[in-house]
Amino acid sequence: MRGSKQPKSSPYANKITFRHYMGKYWQFYAMMLLPLCYFILFKYVPMFGNILAFRHYKPLGGPYGDRWASGYKIWPAPFRYFEQFLLKPEFWTAFKNTLIISVENLIVNFPFPIIFAILLNELRNLKLKKFVQTVSYVPRFVSTVVVISIMSELLSPSMGLLNRLLDQLFGVGRIYYMNEPQYFRLLYILTDMWQFTGWTAIIYLAAITGISSDMFEAARIDGASRFQQIIYITIPTIMPTIMVMFILNVGHLLSLGFEKVLLMQTSTNMAVSDIIDTYVYRYTLGSSSPQYSLGAAIGLFNGVIGLILVSSANFLSRRLTGNSIY
Amino acid sequence: MSEKTASNLQKRRIREHNPVLNTFTFIVLSISVLACVIPFLYIIAMSFSSPVAITNNRVSLWPVDFTVEAYKSIYEYPNFFRAYGYTFLYTFFGTLISLFMMVLFAYPLSKDWLKGQKIAMKLVIFSMFFSGGLIPNYLLINSLHLVGTVWSMLIPYAINQFNLIILINFFKGLPTEIEEAAVIDGLSYFGILVRIVLPLSGAALATVGLYTAVFFWNNWFAPLIYLKSSQYPVMMLLRNIVNGRTMIVDNGGMGEKSSLSISIKSAVIILSSLPIIMLYPFLQKYFVKGMTVGAVKG
Repeated sequence: MRGSKQPKSSPYANKITFRHYMGKYWQFYAMMLLPLCYFILFKYVPMFGNILAFRHYKPLGGPYGDRWASGYKIWPAPFRYFEQFLLKPEFWTAFKNTLIISVENLIVNFPFPIIFAILLNELRNLKLKKFVQTVSYVPRFVSTVVVISIMSELLSPSMGLLNRLLDQLFGVGRIYYMNEPQYFRLLYILTDMWQFTGWTAIIYLAAITGISSDMFEAARIDGASRFQQIIYITIPTIMPTIMVMFILNVGHLLSLGFEKVLLMQTSTNMAVSDIIDTYVYRYTLGSSSPQYSLGAAIGLFNGVIGLILVSSANFLSRRLTGNSIY
Repeated sequence: MSEKTASNLQKRRIREHNPVLNTFTFIVLSISVLACVIPFLYIIAMSFSSPVAITNNRVSLWPVDFTVEAYKSIYEYPNFFRAYGYTFLYTFFGTLISLFMMVLFAYPLSKDWLKGQKIAMKLVIFSMFFSGGLIPNYLLINSLHLVGTVWSMLIPYAINQFNLIILINFFKGLPTEIEEAAVIDGLSYFGILVRIVLPLSGAALATVGLYTAVFFWNNWFAPLIYLKSSQYPVMMLLRNIVNGRTMIVDNGGMGEKSSLSISIKSAVIILSSLPIIMLYPFLQKYFVKGMTVGAVKG
């Protein structure tokens, strides 16, 4: 109730009629009108557009198809497109790749910004702290295209700086890292780390700065070392922030950086780099004979799993730590 | 007694000074800073180095045989400036439309006593966790006849839920007394928004404006699926150069070609990232605050 001292708290609140209320506050609804219609058109209409997953798409026809899908082989009629991809090994390879990259990325890049923020907070020299922070945000501002371009130059087998360095240090020879399947995940995770660590750390750093200095003072008097202060004060205090970030991350497990994967994909690393989103793209917008209904079916499948993941993470977190996002 | 205190103090100082922790902090943060800086230095060095020096692997972090040949080649390449122009167009108008829509939405949503506000908030939050996928979105834009027009870049991305929540939280934090006084003085709510709330919201608008501008500037996938190649922004041009679909220059011998194109590629990377990176120091003092307001409460 920080908003205002108006209505609700006023003793007349219940007696105000609709006309009176609108006469007073219509301007708020007038302001909202355009953005709300916009929001419904561009966020909710596509949500209902998912119905195409059960419908037959007619080329050049409307976005909802022209009739319900017929049966395919075994499953009942409108589930034709679900049967089409769920029974394909190619889809399950993409599904597996998505999960592996996501989970590996979560294991590395979820804790790293927390550690980064804690270490940054250990710096007593404020100018230095500011400098490190400023530098660490910069990669967030460049496009994925730029990130991949820079990486491909650094790793170029003929003249890349990093390629040369690795060869000189370990004598591994010049390797075409961007093309070798075994380096794909590593490169995905490292570029994510490069691009987002500093940025994500802002949130944790804000939470750490919010901790009352009395707590550290008391711990110091009790003889706690700095390491003990981190373990027993900093981390438990920022736990709510950590859990909220964790829930959000889990909700996005199946929708990892599609654009980056698309840029990094080559014909040789396909076996590990084909994820659900690139699979959809290949059969729809990236194809000369797009199968929109199939694409919508996979999209819906993905979206529902995402929703289930975020709800379960939220539920578990509320049960275990008492923190949740809704 | 005093001896004991002194020895305790000393012990405490030893505990405060943890060499392992300090070394670890130093190493991790130094590596992070170097990792952030070196790639950019390398690209700058490549863009100013001569092709011969590049092929002979003589370039590392400093230009060798300084030359601006790469930048000259871009200058002579007509598509680059057209793409650059489109990028500016999409970024400027996209950000403008986006700020307009989000302010109009966020101000009423910041009044949590307003009837219907809670339902609207639920609509916003739910859409963050579930959305129409790639295909329904594409077909919607297609059925609105926006595909192949510049509007497909400007309109569909006007409201971003995270940015909206940053604005809502910022508006909630403004002192209500000024608004109440303005109501008593007979100012309409539109008047309050324009003449009181917006002038006080410089920091939030700068933050959200920067995020939005960065999004529009860096966007390449939407242009790929919605635009004709004559309307591509600079990021699509760079993407095509990386994928080897555009040979930016065709002169020069075979041996020189790849190294020359590497220095041109570097120059394109520099030029395409420079404007948005240059925006950042001016807005930096605002956006850390904006980010934390939005994230902690959102």
